[in-house]
Parts: sequence; C-alpha cells; structure tokens
Amino acid sequence: MPPSDSKSAHSISRRAVLRGAGVTMALPWLPSLARADSAPPAAAFPKRFAVLFMGNGINEDYWSAEGSGDAMKLSKTLSVMEPLKRKINVVDGLFNKASVGLGIHPAQTGSLLSGVGISKGAIVHSGVSVDQIIANAVGRDTAQSSIVLACEQPMTGYHETNYSLAYSSHISWQSPDSPLPVEVYPSLAFDDLFENRGSLRNISILDRVMDRAAALSSQMSAADKPKLDEYLTSVREVEKRVDAARKVKDQADDQAKAVNRPAFTMPRPADGLPEDLREHARLMCDLIAIAFQTDRTRVASLLLARDLSALYYPFLNVKEGHHAASHANNTEAYERIASFHLSQLAYLAGKLDAMSEGDGSVLDHSCLMWLSNMYIGRQHDNRRLPVVLAGGLGGTLKTGRALNYLNAGDENRKMCSLYLSLLDRMGVQLDHFGDASARLAEL
Amino acid sequence: MLNAWAAGPPLAQQFAQTVRPFVAKYCFECHSGPSPAAQLDLKSYATVDEVLRDNALWELLAERLARKEMPPAPMPQPPDAQREKIVAWVKAMRADEARRTAGDPGIVLARRLSNAEYDYTIRDLTGVDMQLAREFPVDPANTAGFDNSGETLSMSAALLNKYLLAAHAVADRMALTPDGMVFAPYPMLVETDRDKFCIARIVDFYHRQPTDFAAYFEAAWRYKYRAALGRPDGTLASTAADAKVSAKYLAIVWPLLEEPAAASELEVGPIAKLQGMWRALPQPKAAPADAALVQLRQQCRAMSDFVVKIRSHTAMQYAAPVVRGLPAGSQPLLDWKLFEFADHRRDSDPKDLLDDDKPAPPVPAILRYPGLHQEAAPRWATLTANARAGDKDLVIPAAQRPKYEASFERFANVFPDVFYVSERGRYFPDDSDDKGRLLSAGYHNTMGYFRDDRPLMELILDENGQKELNRLWDEFDFIAQYTERTFVQYYFNQSGEVRGGGAEAGSPRPEGHAVTDPEVIFGLRDEYLAKAAASPNNDPIAPEAIRTHFERVNNTLRSLEKMHAAAEPLHLQALLRFAARAYRRPLTKAESGDIQAYYHELRDKDGLSHEDAMRDSIVSVLMSPDFCYRLDLLETRQQETRAPQKPGISHASLGPNVAPLSGYALASRLSYFLWSSMPDDELLAHAAAGDLQRRDVLLAQARRMLKDGRVRGLATEFGGNWLDFRHFQSLNSVDRDRFPSFNNDLREAMFEEPIRFLEDAFRRDRPALDLIYAKDTFVNPSLAKHYGMPAVDGGEDHWVHVENAADYGRGGLLPMAVFLTENSPGLRTSPVKRGHWIVSKLLGEPIPPPPPVVPELPKDEATSDMPVRDMLAAHRANPACASCHAKFDSFGLALEGFGPVGDARTVDLAGRPVETKAAFPEGVEGSGVAGIQDYIRERRQTQFLQNLGRELLAYALNRSPQLSDDPLIEAMQTQLSAGAGLDTLVDAIVTSRQFLNMRSPATRANALAANRR
Repeated sequence: MPPSDSKSAHSISRRAVLRGAGVTMALPWLPSLARADSAPPAAAFPKRFAVLFMGNGINEDYWSAEGSGDAMKLSKTLSVMEPLKRKINVVDGLFNKASVGLGIHPAQTGSLLSGVGISKGAIVHSGVSVDQIIANAVGRDTAQSSIVLACEQPMTGYHETNYSLAYSSHISWQSPDSPLPVEVYPSLAFDDLFENRGSLRNISILDRVMDRAAALSSQMSAADKPKLDEYLTSVREVEKRVDAARKVKDQADDQAKAVNRPAFTMPRPADGLPEDLREHARLMCDLIAIAFQTDRTRVASLLLARDLSALYYPFLNVKEGHHAASHANNTEAYERIASFHLSQLAYLAGKLDAMSEGDGSVLDHSCLMWLSNMYIGRQHDNRRLPVVLAGGLGGTLKTGRALNYLNAGDENRKMCSLYLSLLDRMGVQLDHFGDASARLAEL
Repeated sequence: MLNAWAAGPPLAQQFAQTVRPFVAKYCFECHSGPSPAAQLDLKSYATVDEVLRDNALWELLAERLARKEMPPAPMPQPPDAQREKIVAWVKAMRADEARRTAGDPGIVLARRLSNAEYDYTIRDLTGVDMQLAREFPVDPANTAGFDNSGETLSMSAALLNKYLLAAHAVADRMALTPDGMVFAPYPMLVETDRDKFCIARIVDFYHRQPTDFAAYFEAAWRYKYRAALGRPDGTLASTAADAKVSAKYLAIVWPLLEEPAAASELEVGPIAKLQGMWRALPQPKAAPADAALVQLRQQCRAMSDFVVKIRSHTAMQYAAPVVRGLPAGSQPLLDWKLFEFADHRRDSDPKDLLDDDKPAPPVPAILRYPGLHQEAAPRWATLTANARAGDKDLVIPAAQRPKYEASFERFANVFPDVFYVSERGRYFPDDSDDKGRLLSAGYHNTMGYFRDDRPLMELILDENGQKELNRLWDEFDFIAQYTERTFVQYYFNQSGEVRGGGAEAGSPRPEGHAVTDPEVIFGLRDEYLAKAAASPNNDPIAPEAIRTHFERVNNTLRSLEKMHAAAEPLHLQALLRFAARAYRRPLTKAESGDIQAYYHELRDKDGLSHEDAMRDSIVSVLMSPDFCYRLDLLETRQQETRAPQKPGISHASLGPNVAPLSGYALASRLSYFLWSSMPDDELLAHAAAGDLQRRDVLLAQARRMLKDGRVRGLATEFGGNWLDFRHFQSLNSVDRDRFPSFNNDLREAMFEEPIRFLEDAFRRDRPALDLIYAKDTFVNPSLAKHYGMPAVDGGEDHWVHVENAADYGRGGLLPMAVFLTENSPGLRTSPVKRGHWIVSKLLGEPIPPPPPVVPELPKDEATSDMPVRDMLAAHRANPACASCHAKFDSFGLALEGFGPVGDARTVDLAGRPVETKAAFPEGVEGSGVAGIQDYIRERRQTQFLQNLGRELLAYALNRSPQLSDDPLIEAMQTQLSAGAGLDTLVDAIVTSRQFLNMRSPATRANALAANRR
C-alpha cells in the first residue's frame, strides 16, 4: 500500500480497515498549525451530538419557556440555562408514539431514541437509537465512534408490565437485540478515550504475534519462509500504522500544550465510583467536553439518572430516592432534582462554549439534547416530553427559541421528526426514522 | 501402455539423437533467439533434465505437434512418422518421470486456514458456529480449483485486521466458569446477554428431560410384555433406554403400577384408579400394529391426564408470611413462599379431599388480580377451588380418611405436581399473566432468579444429570452474578420498605462498606427482624424466613467470592488447554510459560482485570501463526517422545529428501482433509501415542471420520469447489419475476442437495460411480415441489432421501437443479455452459478458454428466433469454433429437458418443443440424462474416475496435482472401476506416500529454487 495520500479515494477504505483494529483517530484542529489564511471554513469543523437523559420526568409547574433570544423567559427549572439562552432551543409538546400506551416506565424508555416498538418478556428487542445511527455514520473517523456513559448502574429484572428493566437502564442501542454497555466509571471512560486502550492492547498482541512469526520463520524451510514473511509483513504493517497514529497523537499533544490549550490536560479520574453524584456527573460532562474538543469522538450519550432511578440526593435535601420522589413530582424537592440534572446540560454546554473553535466555539458546532422519558412523574405522563437542545450545529440550527408543538396535532409533533431533522444536520439523510417520515416543522 | 521407445535406447540418447535435432530443424526458427515466439525458447533445453523440469510444457508441445497445429502452416512440415516419434518420446519421458518420482510429497506450502477452515475450526474449538469468516474476502482457488492451498492463500494487512476483529469477536463471546471457559453465540459483555446465555442453557436442559408421564406408562407396558414383544431379556433399564425415558423414574413408577408392595393397603383412591387404568391397557396381539399402538398411546395419555388432574387439584399452596408494614412481595418473605412451593411438590394437600358424608363446600368467586406488592395466594386459592369443584376423585369415605390421605400422599410422592418451574411471574403460581420470565423469581422491578426443580433432581435425573444441572446453575451465578446484582438492586430500590418507605424505596449508599459486605447484609437483616418483632400479629415464621434469606444471600456471595478466587488458576490452565487445541498440538514448555507470562503482564503491568486479561490472551492465541497457519513443523516431531512403533507403512523406501509427517501434522492433515477442521481429541490422542502412522490405526481413524457429521465439511468444501457451486448461495442471475418459484428457500435447497448427496455417499461408502449413475437424491419441501415429487412436509430443514428420484428425472449429480441453474445465463438455458461443466468439471478434460471475440446468443429464450439448439448448430458450422464446441455442446443439448432453473420441461420459453437427443463425441447418439450416463459408462468412465481421484488427491494434499501423482491416480481408478466405494479412494489417499510425508526442508528449498529457474 502506498505510504500516504490522504486525499486519494483509497483513504476511506483504509481508514475503515484501520478502524477495525481500533487504531485510527482524527486529530484536533490545532491553531498552532493553522495560519490565518488557511483556517478551515466553519463547515470543516466536525459536528458533534450528545444526548443527556434523566428518567421520571420534571416538575411541570416550573418548566416553561416563552419568547426568543435575549428576551426569552425561562421558568425556575430552565433558568439554569439563562447564561446560554441564545444558544438553546426549548422544545415542548413532542412525544414518542411507540412508547405511549404500553404501560409505565420501561416501555416509556426502551424506544425513546429509536421510535421502534419493544418486546415483552425475557428477550429484549428494540431499535437502533438515533445517537448510534449518527455514530455509525460519523464515527469512523474518530478514535471511538461514540461514548456511552451513565451515572447510575443499569438494573435488570422485570417490571410489572412484563417489560425488562434493561429498557429502563439503557437509552443507547447499537443493535435491536442488545443495548450498548454503559460506562459508569469515569476512570475507565477516560482510559478508553485517552490511552486508547483498545489499540494499545492490540499493539501488545501484535508484538507477540510478530515475535512468534519471526521465530517460526527462522525455522522454516526456504519454501515456507515467504508465506510466513507475508504474515510477518502484514503484522508489521498493521503495527506500524498503530504506532504512527500514536506518534501523531503525541505530537498533537505536545503542540496543544505549547499553545497552552486545555487538550489532554484533564487529570485521570480516580478509580472507583465517586461517592458524590455531583462529582460523578461533573466528571462525566468533563469527559464528553474533552472528547468533543479533541475530536476523540463526535457522539456521546450520558444517562444521568435512569428510569426508575434509585439515586439519592442528600445534597439537595431530598430524603427519598429519585423514583419515589418522582411520584410527587410537583414538589419543590423534585424540582431541585430536575434542576440538578438540567444544570449538567448547562455545565457541559458552558464548558463547550468556552472552547473556541474557528470563529465560534465547540458548542456552536454541536447539538446537546437533554430529555426525559416523561413529563409529569406522578401520572407517568409521556404524552409530551421535556426537551432542551443546546448548540447550533455549525449554524444549521437556529437557536434562542422556545418551540411548542403541543397543539400541532400528533402527526406534527413526533420525537422521530426531531431526530430526522437533527440527522439531516449531522449529515445523515434518511427517508424515515422510527414512526416519522417528515422533518419537524420550523426547527 | 508400452510404446516403441520403452524397450529402445535410453531417453537421453534418444533426446540427443532424435529429439533435439528435430526441434532444431522445425522449431528454432521461431522459438529461439532474443525474443522467441510465445516466449518459448526451445534452444534452452539442452539436456533431458532440463526437459523434465518443464515436462508439462513439453506435453503441450507434443499435443500441438500431434494435432498438426505446429509448426504452423507456411513453415516446413515434418513427415508424420517423425512427428509421432517426438510425441511418443515426450510421452515416454513423462511416464518414466512419473514412475521415478511416484509418491513424491511435492511442495506443500505453509498455508493459512482458508475461510471455510477458519469457521469450522473456530466452531470445533469453541463449540459455537460463529461464522466470522463471512466478513473475510473470498479465498482464490488454485489451478486444481481448490481454495485450500498455500499456492493461493495469501495474507495481507487488510485481512490481518479482519483476523484481529474475528479473534476479538471470539474472545468477547467467552465466559469464565468455575473451572474453565465456555463460549456463547453472542458477546458476553453485557449483563443481559450473560443472563440470556445462562438461562437458555438451563431451560434447554429442562426441556430435554423426559417428563411426560404417558411415556413412562408406555415404557412400563413394554417392560411388562417384554417377552411377547420379542424382548424376553429386557430389563427396566434397557426398556427405559429404548423408550428414551429415565430409568431411575421408570423404576419408581413401575412398582406403583404393578408390584403390590408392603403398602398395598394404600391401593385405594388415585392409586387404585390408576392401577385399574393400567390393567385395562391392551395386551400385545397380532392385530395391525399401528392401530394397536394408537390405542395404547391413547390409554397411556388418559392415565397421564388423570395423574396431572389429581396433582393439580391437590398441590400444596403457600403465601408469604405476613409482617405488618412490609409488602407481600418483600424479598425475604416472598422467598420463603417460593421455597415452600419448591420443597413440597411431592406432597398432597389433605384439605383438598372431601369427606363423603359432608356437603361439598361452596365454590368461591374468582378474585381479581392482586395489586402491586399484594399477596397473590388468595386469588390462586379461588382459581384452584373452581378448577377442583366437582372432581369426584377427591371425595373419600370419611371413615377411612387417614388411609386415603396416605394414598394421596404416596401418589404425590411418585407424581409431583410439576417437575420444574421454568417461568415465574408476579402472581406465581398463577401463570396466566407475566409470560416469558424465564427462571425469574417473580420479584417486582428488581431482577432475581429462583431455582425450583427438586422433583426433576430427585426422580428423573441420574447422578450425571444432577451434576450437570447443578453445574449449570452454579455457572449461572458465577457468570452472571445474579445473586449479587439482585441484592444490589434490591438494596438501592426496595430495602427502604423496612423503614416504612414503601415498596419502591431504596436505601442510600452505605458509608465505609460495599453494599454486599456482610455488615450491610446483616444490618439490613436486623432491621427486618426488628420489624417482624414489632407486632404480635406478625406471622411467627417471619423471623426464620428473614434470617434464612439474608444468610443465604451472604453465604452465596461469600462462596462465589471464594469460587472466583479459586477459579483464576483453573482459568489459566483452561487457557493453556485452549491454546494447545488451537495449535493442534501440545505446547512446548516455553510456549506454555510464555502464554502465562503474557497473562500476568497484562494484569500486573497493564492493569487489566482477570477477565480482560483472559480475553486478550485468547486473542493472542488466535492471532498466532500456530493457529491461523497450518505448518508441518519438524519441531513438533521432535517433541514426540515415542517414535512410531511398528509402522505398518514402510518408510524404508523414502528417499533422502523425504521425511514422514509428525503425528500431529498427520492428524491435522487428516482432519482438514475429511472435516475441513481441526483434529478432535481422539485423533490428537493417537498423535500423542505415536501410532497414527500405523496403517490399521490410520485406516480405522479415516473410517471413523467419514462416519462423523463433520464430514459435511468435505462434502461442502471439496464438492463445492470441485463442482463449482460453492458460491451458489449468492447467485443472483435468476430473474425472479420470470421464475417466481425461485426464491431464497429454493436457492438454499438447490445448494444443499449435492452436499447432502455427497455427504451420504462418503458416510455410507457408496460406489464412486454412484455420483453419475445413482437413481436417488435428497429433497426438502421446496425442492420436492420444484422436482414435481410427492410433497415433503415439515420445514425447510426437513430433508428426505428419495430412492426413486429417477422416476422424476433426477438422481445423481447430473440433473441436480443447482448445476442446471448455475450454468444458465438467466432467461435461457445454456447447453454450452452445461456441457462445458460436465466435460471440464466432472470428466476433467481441460478445455482452452474461448477466443476473445465470440458471438453473443440472444439473452431471452422467449423472444429468440430459433431454439438454442439451432443457434449452436450454426455456431459449430464454423470450424474454428467446432473444435472445442464439439467436445461439450452435445452434453448440454441432452439436458435441454431442463429449463433455466433446472425445472423439467417439454417446451422452451418460447413454447417450442425441446429436443434432448444429442450426438456425443465420436458420434455416439443418446438422449437426456440417461443418454449422457450411457455414453459416460461406455466411453468416458475411466476419465471420470481418474478425475475424481486427481481432484480428491489435490484437495487432500493442499496442492495442485503433479506428474508424480499419476501412478496413484491410475491405481485408484482401477479400484473404483471395479465398483469400489469412496472409502477405497480415501484409504488410498491417506495411506499414500504423498499424504504421509513431506519434502524435508533442505529439498523443499532446492525444489523451490529449481522451480523458479
């Protein structure tokens, strides 16, 4: 294979091949290398997508937005987004038909991001979720196609509706038959992202294989030697690519440091689970931020609190666990819980907005979608869902708006329509997704 | 055949005196000098040795001489006699060379596993058919048409990446057990998948067990009448084995039916009634067997129905102990109820028996489903009371109640209400809702599993079965850690109930402890105990229930911790066994040390968990050339401590350049030949014992392997490559609008037919000639319909052997739809392609490729002006085309009775009658399949058999055939002509010098160097 011609038609397939071994990575755009006249146009910045999920709904008494731009009025819970309100859209009135009418909890969550009906009983079956559709399309250029994080361990077993609780514990599905494992340990997520464990592990495997092939080759007859050498060469070639990729990454690290950018400066989180949920959630957001900034991945999913969550909030002065508290969701206590989780979006969006990229910020090239699986917890009502979008996807998504579809008619207020609209902007053109074949009007 | 030269002067002398001068005179003009014609410099052949080296080329030269194609027309032509002399010399030279080098192992290159071999090997190594090579690029075939030789199997960085992915995929499917590892059909990385895998194994085990009472009654009947049924020596055990029921349980059922024991006073009530039904079973007589059997089975079924009814009406019922302030679904309390059920399946509830002197109790109204967290027992009681109402079998003489109760108890002792519970919902044992919760404990929201199979363990399973089932349950908790996960979920989501938080309240994370620490577990226990003690109205059994529950959780967790710690060294041992099997030979000390060192490095240096380190170690084994290459290593031979004893096959005659294969290399060669896969334990044991080279052992092994199901690998890979249908499953040339019958099922069935046929031929040692002349074949529902045969019922997997396929125009390879379809270009037949397939593939006659410009035939038969037959006749009128087409068109024309998808037909797509008469080469006339068979039998049988032998040998040796193989091929042909079976062919190959030996390394190098010259 010729050394390198990144613009050749071969480069795509070669990358695809390399991805197999977990060895490619795109590099962060480095200002130190860019002269003013060669700065890439805005479109050249990668677009990123993240979904943040909190189960069991919000306090509806404190959830509303009106107006637009600087004049947008945000209610108490939403007020955590105040500093960024020109960069968000508060979307109200959407719903996911596939998760209505099948009973409460797991059935309200299992198809939230896919719009595909789920199966009862022991064998779980859902649809590929929108974040993974995007990851499959845009993830091949990055170290990881997506990162799937959670602040709460999944649970299994059965709900009274006879749906598996796996549906309550996972929002990201890469295949209809199996949810993606969630990473709850910040330290392991960090290792996956920055030490590129996958490919480092392959390097050590390849090293061994090479040693063995070389030893064998010396014992082989002259006739067999070429066959073994062929193997040896292949191993060496793959390993060389791994190594080259690593060197380029090291170089980029150094350069980033030289211009005092924050890239790769996040300290590795300690092993184990953080005792405090606040610290846990913040670390997860930091990981997403740094992953987006350094373009290690362009898709992230963060389950802050699962459906039927058993998280506790002593720091919010709430005595009950999350799920129990949600049965009285119109209390001040539950408002604090919802506000806490939405503030994670505010934190992450703020962090991304502080990272300049070209003329704007990383946030300007991203879309962060915050949502829950229901609206009014005490009624398990998911006929409308609370959704907040942050980021403008490189100018393709107008922000600073409060959009309300509640009275637009069921056909015109589908979550899957929103997904189609977002997929478009992420460069994934689909005719239909889930139960929708039309884009969301006016988005 | 002797020729004039054989007895004449030596070949060298003839070469100098006759051949070289001839070539100089007639050929040098063009074929010498700086740019010889066709790059063939004949002047360079100065000695016989040089000619020998390129003897195949010289054969071509002789052929063209004989056909007078050379020297070409304007050049001076030699007299015919001289021509013949040269042709004869070449023939003699080759025959002499074949004799001299007969049995030469030839150069068999180190070769990576072909894609098919990779898949079969992973299947046999892991026990799971993962089919990972589907993602690999297609392997190219060698000149003999096979994709299993080092000549064509190459490696590239792209493929290596695929290997890496595949190796990770295998490693991801691994699960660690208490003493080793198993593999699942899907990745075992997510908890739900681990659960799914373990549950499926247990439920499958349950479903495999013989638990149908009727089968035991029939078996008992067969035992009773064993003499009349022609089995005078039968025992209970042998009868049970024949009937595929549990011998242990039959021995428990039998005395209750037949042998009045000490407890005969209990033969009242259900026992008496069942015995009456038993005695009423018909005696065996000469009546039509089928009708009698139906009658017998109906009566056994009635007995079974009676047992099931009685037991379901008298099964014990339990409710969770009541503790004020705790929901009925509280785990410690619910578990107590589940254990009560599980422990009393062989008991009868005396409350369900009605005294005959009292009126029947009123039938209660069926209660509604209980709410969440409420006790399900009251509803169940009303359901069962309704079911039981009016059952006269439950009415007993009041005066004899003790005796009847004892009878019911003994009845229940033999006949449990159920043998096992495989599904459990929240309203257990009411299973009318919550279907599909396999092995579930029926907890609300939190996960949890519960084992309830004591009757199966006690009554049906023998010691091995009990061990197996215990092992599956142990492995379930070991692999899926369900006890721990259940407790953690319960702790965070439900344990708050004890503090009055309601059924869905959890406890906050404990400080300074893990949730699963004994302090936390027992702390919670004490809270529950306090709750139980808080009210005098609480069920007095509650404290015991609570203590038992938390102790069980703690004991299980502690014992699992110990098991996990104790398992790690066992896993390392399993890893070494895995590596040895993957390498198909024992590991050297160094290798075994190296694998362990790598594992420790991953753990200590890279900080991987035990499981991750195991997975990476597996990847490194599967990436080693020792696994993905087949290497005939000398080193392994040196490892063998014992030399072959009394080898039945003499190696004395081996030349200095030839070395016998090591036992392990031979085991692999055998298994990749007959199974396309790795050797099994038995083969490796023989390799270890060093006796695989013994003729008797070798032949016995080959026979054993041919009878094994894995011989399907040979049928698929050898047959598929030889006959060119290996890629038929992806054939897309059929227009499905025009041939709606051609769907995926039919395509799959067409592909399967020759595989079934060849597998059967190999397994049953059928004569080689059956491949052509057989009157039978195999069909499934789709294919039977396609062939117009009587319908075959069942699914697409149901294949039947059709003895009289010839009555429907099928039988043997020739009229199989797969070949007829593959060799049709879509909307018409192609006698050219079909004929070419028969002549080149079946008969092995080399046909030169067509010239670059050939006239196109119309694509659609339905719209063409004349039948294909007539168009071809026109084509053959051109002498340039005729020379080749005359060799094969006729075979295809005889098959015109089959349409483009191999369907029998009398008219073509344009409605013109088809003609199946054909004039075969040398002017023999014939018609249809029978015509082809007759012609082959008369004129071409030897050629077919030679070709079959050559192809199978090339496949077995992983190399293209060479001149030195000719004597073996000739000998095989002679045996097969006499009607010998395929075993003979396999025997001849596996005992041949070329199969048993390898070129020793030095000569391999020389030969290669020579070849390159």
